[in-house]
Amino acid sequence: MNRAFFAALESIYPPQRLLTRDVELLPYESDALTAFSAKPGAVVLPVNEAEIVDTVRLCHDHAVPFVARGSGTSLSGGSLPIPEGLTIGLNRLNRIKKLDPQQRIAVVEPGVINLSISEAAQPYGLYYAPDPSSQSICTIGGNIAFNSGGAHCLKYGMTSNHVLGMKVVLADGTVTKFGSESVEGVGIGPDLIGLFVGSEGLFGIALEITVRLMPQPEVYRTVLAAYDDLGRAGDAVSMVVASGLLPGAMEIMDRLAIEAAEASVKAGYPDAEALLIVELEGESIQVNTEFERLQGIIQQSGAFELRVAESEAERTRIWKGRKGAFSAVGRLSPDYIVQDGVVPRSRLGEALLAINALKVKYGLEVANVFHAGDGNLHPLILYDGRAVGALEKAEALAGEILALCINLGGSITGEHGVGMEKRDYLPAMFSEEEIDIMQALRRSIDPREIANRGKMFPGGEAPALKLQGLHPLEKAGVISRE
Amino acid sequence: MATAIEKCVHCGFCLAACPTYSLLGEEMDSPRGRIYLMKNVLEDKLAAEDAQPYIDRCLGCMACVPACPSGVEYGDLLVSYRALQEAERRRPPLDAMARNLVISTLPYPKRFRLAAQAGKLGKALSGALPLPFASMLNLLPDQLPASRPMPPVLPAQGERRGVVALLPGCVQQALAPEINFAAAQVLAANGVEVHNPPDAGCCGSILLHVGAEQQAQEIARRNFIAIPADIDAIITTAAGCGSGIKDYELLFKGQPDAERAIAFSRKVMDFSAYLSTVGMRAPAGFASERRVVYQDACHLLHAQSLHSEPRNLLNQIPNLRLLPIADAGQCCGSAGTYNIDQPALAAELGRRKVESILAVQPDLVVSGNIGCIAQLRQQLQSQPKPPPVMHIAELLWKAYTGSD
Amino acid sequence: MSVNAPRSVTELQAIVRDNERVHVVGNGSKTALHNAHDGAASAELSGMTGIIEYQPSEYTVTLRAGTPVRDLAAALSQQGQYLPCDPLMGASATIGGTVACNLAGSRRYRYGGVRDFILGAEVVDGLGRAFRVGGKVVKNAAGFDLSKFLVGSLGRYAIMTELTFKVFPDAPSFRSLRLDYGPLEEALRAVYFINQSAFELDALDLIPGARGWSLLARLAGYDETLPQRVERFSSAMARETAPLDIEELADSGSLWNPLADLAGGCLVKVALSPKQIPAFEAALAGARRRYSVGGNVAWVATDEVDALDAALQKLALTGLCLRGAVKSAVIGEPIDNVLAQRVKQVLDPYNKFM
Repeated sequence: MNRAFFAALESIYPPQRLLTRDVELLPYESDALTAFSAKPGAVVLPVNEAEIVDTVRLCHDHAVPFVARGSGTSLSGGSLPIPEGLTIGLNRLNRIKKLDPQQRIAVVEPGVINLSISEAAQPYGLYYAPDPSSQSICTIGGNIAFNSGGAHCLKYGMTSNHVLGMKVVLADGTVTKFGSESVEGVGIGPDLIGLFVGSEGLFGIALEITVRLMPQPEVYRTVLAAYDDLGRAGDAVSMVVASGLLPGAMEIMDRLAIEAAEASVKAGYPDAEALLIVELEGESIQVNTEFERLQGIIQQSGAFELRVAESEAERTRIWKGRKGAFSAVGRLSPDYIVQDGVVPRSRLGEALLAINALKVKYGLEVANVFHAGDGNLHPLILYDGRAVGALEKAEALAGEILALCINLGGSITGEHGVGMEKRDYLPAMFSEEEIDIMQALRRSIDPREIANRGKMFPGGEAPALKLQGLHPLEKAGVISRE
Repeated sequence: MATAIEKCVHCGFCLAACPTYSLLGEEMDSPRGRIYLMKNVLEDKLAAEDAQPYIDRCLGCMACVPACPSGVEYGDLLVSYRALQEAERRRPPLDAMARNLVISTLPYPKRFRLAAQAGKLGKALSGALPLPFASMLNLLPDQLPASRPMPPVLPAQGERRGVVALLPGCVQQALAPEINFAAAQVLAANGVEVHNPPDAGCCGSILLHVGAEQQAQEIARRNFIAIPADIDAIITTAAGCGSGIKDYELLFKGQPDAERAIAFSRKVMDFSAYLSTVGMRAPAGFASERRVVYQDACHLLHAQSLHSEPRNLLNQIPNLRLLPIADAGQCCGSAGTYNIDQPALAAELGRRKVESILAVQPDLVVSGNIGCIAQLRQQLQSQPKPPPVMHIAELLWKAYTGSD
Repeated sequence: MSVNAPRSVTELQAIVRDNERVHVVGNGSKTALHNAHDGAASAELSGMTGIIEYQPSEYTVTLRAGTPVRDLAAALSQQGQYLPCDPLMGASATIGGTVACNLAGSRRYRYGGVRDFILGAEVVDGLGRAFRVGGKVVKNAAGFDLSKFLVGSLGRYAIMTELTFKVFPDAPSFRSLRLDYGPLEEALRAVYFINQSAFELDALDLIPGARGWSLLARLAGYDETLPQRVERFSSAMARETAPLDIEELADSGSLWNPLADLAGGCLVKVALSPKQIPAFEAALAGARRRYSVGGNVAWVATDEVDALDAALQKLALTGLCLRGAVKSAVIGEPIDNVLAQRVKQVLDPYNKFM
């Protein structure tokens, strides 16, 4: 960042929205992946579309790398600042510009909080379906960048499946629109929404998003089943699937995760080795019949306790425990890594056994919370960052879990994205040629490679942290792990 | 402090609950950001005075505490940090004057009455005064109400179901003596014997809030002596006192009378919580429907987890209709001395609160805390037909006496 | 024009490398897409067929792009499953063509379209490179999602050779109703009512009739609950939307084939939103049509493509011609987009796929 660039920034932003002092920049050093931190050169807080576009064009002209940031809740370091780059805070663009309940759509700015859309739609009997655990604070812009999922995406998909139209500024400053208000979205021509959503901020910034809303189900039936064995809970999931039921959500938590959630939310979870949450939703008559079948399956599956949420408050409490589980682990351990691997559902049991073996091998605790319906594992690896070599050990264990997921035919990330955290693992999933093609695609959109530079792709100008020892940039004091 | 900081995993769940983050939209003005700033100050990576404006802007409303899945004790952290910094802090002259005025008057009802009379004179000049002073004066009514002396013991009516001491508090005594009067009457009507120890007074929370730790301890000790030990509960009618006294364990850590302080703090209960526990005898209620908004005081809702208790009491009043409002858990901007320290932000929070209250068109507004009441009255006064604002104890007393 | 029928990815790569222009054809069922490619080598994928991997317990299926949609549907239905985007079952339509043209039937209403069920693909691009995009598990967030980009890409960026989809358990039973209304506005009001209700329909189409407009609604579920659900739905609709008549119809595949009554002439798909229907109707001047997916997709059969083209342009809508002799398959508002052009530069820089 040179003087001319700063002067140009000053012409766009008043001083209170152009942050440059240490005290203003430090709190932006990390997102929800605190293993990484990097101080940005400056933070700007635009309040309208024009300011964003001007800022991106300026960055392009001066070849200054930038990262867009909503609420900083990425678990893969997706909104980690680029050292000496610009952080563009979008949380003030938080207007819901249009809500059309008849056509079940909403048009929103990128800084709108996920849950706010559902709150605004609630009086019309509608809601916004993707529900990442951080939905009370994460923004749609971030959801777009990382194609966020949640507990309910087996049935209704992830963010990408709920976006119908977008206006974006590409990394070179070009503004373009695609999609429509039809549920078909783009409809005719390549599905650009599908391409842009999940591009981890490497293509540009979403300025305006049209999302589809869904009718609130008439009833929910939320069932909590307790098991004295994690494998049995996993088998129950397979049994539910085999029965032809299509629950809105199927979640598993293991003992450690249950303990943390219980300490945090007091959800009243039973004392168990594993909990399975299954949620049915839909028309009451249909759900009641499905519920009878589900009860039969769960009884057969060897659950020692079965609870049914009797009220909306009880349902909320069950989910609050599950959704707060990641952060609740903060009560058990000073530091932890959240992993996000996917395995084919039928190999869940195998994966859990292997993770148990890894726990023993590394002498580290691992709490398991996962979206069992779609095989999306979230092992939380507990460590104490103050102990010498602890992070490296935890990262090595995390790496083995990812390798395991790939070996079982899955993916290194189901919903958190590659970001900073997993870029070294991209080559394990894609061939050199496939990565080259993705890189070429990135360069065709962003020739100066300024948008979220250093994320997703291995190597490059800010290479990933190696599993052992200090990274050169760490040695230079440019980035640090805490 | 270190534990509280370490527990923070930077997940950001607190941001949604934080009033200053919702107003200012920047990370430094969020709980997560403040924790990070405090951490950097404590690790000598950042100068304390650089971080101070952001710490000062914290309302201390504690909305972030229930929102935190990791269980960060933000309140303890903030109180400890403020106390630590206050010792070394040099304030600009005007701020220092305002703060000294707070420290030397607010906890002392008699002094406060005197200052208030001076303030009455000052009110005419408030336009010429700097903003911090003006906002303080705005809180004062034109005429201080006459004090409502109470007998040392108010006997229980009917079967005696409990014995309590009523903590008189500080500012409230001078500004609104009718609150404790009403609370005592309602308790007595419910079979509770109410003691009014003449030497009891301020709990010290307001001093702790501005980081004057030592003065806070001194003033708290007076209550240990003044309040008899053989009672069921010590009742407060001010949210800040209730939650502040719960911090005595922290305040008196390492002091010789630490145990006494803890025993004292365990007996303290908010008026609405106590009344819910003993169970309310059916009041007469109102002749015609009253549309009522209950405004949660942060130090009842977030710090003491009192949500359903006051609402259940109100719902037992015949002909009273309780109206839910948008963003009910959001601070009104009063927050102890916040409306004195941060008048602009407090006013904006007040404006938002008034907007959501007026949207449901209530006949009256009740709250469990004098600070919220004063803030709402002030924010409502510019409205054409402002609904009256009163303490929940006052409304209950009206419901018992059948007066309107 | 040379015609090639590669049997393998390697053969297809060679065809792409050896020819200046390549035009991909599935089984040729969408005739309008194959009109204007004189001089291009034709690559017919009808020889690259078959299901490669189908694991009902995983809800995933991987198959070659030339596989007829019918074969896939038959394999899935044996396991009580289906592809919820409801690919249209022309006599010989292939799954590759379905993705390239983004074609979904009426049942797309319930869970989503092609883009919502595609998980990954193997492709050959304009440089003859064969590679994989997306993943094979139901959830994957690694790398750019080029598999969704292929949906609707009309064969202009890369040739799909293999596709992976998410599939769901199908309902055992169905019931269908016709609800008759007077003017279009009343039928649309009924659509809006359904949109904000908790009724879960399997499909909802809007059809013009001689005396007014009708809704076709389908419910799916268990035999034992359907009568009650049909009853609840009918009485709510009768109460809230005042239809002239509600009649239960015999449920059948042809009832829910939106193209069943649109034989002859040029067949065009238009994506639109329900609120655009009145203006579209005014511009259509009586072509045969059916609005599918709750009024979000229009199927039009017309002999006057130019008039339709003009009407679409006026409304800033795009149409895709699937059948008939047309100069360009895409009519109305052009679909050029700067982001798509950037992808083209990478996948097909020499414009082999036009």
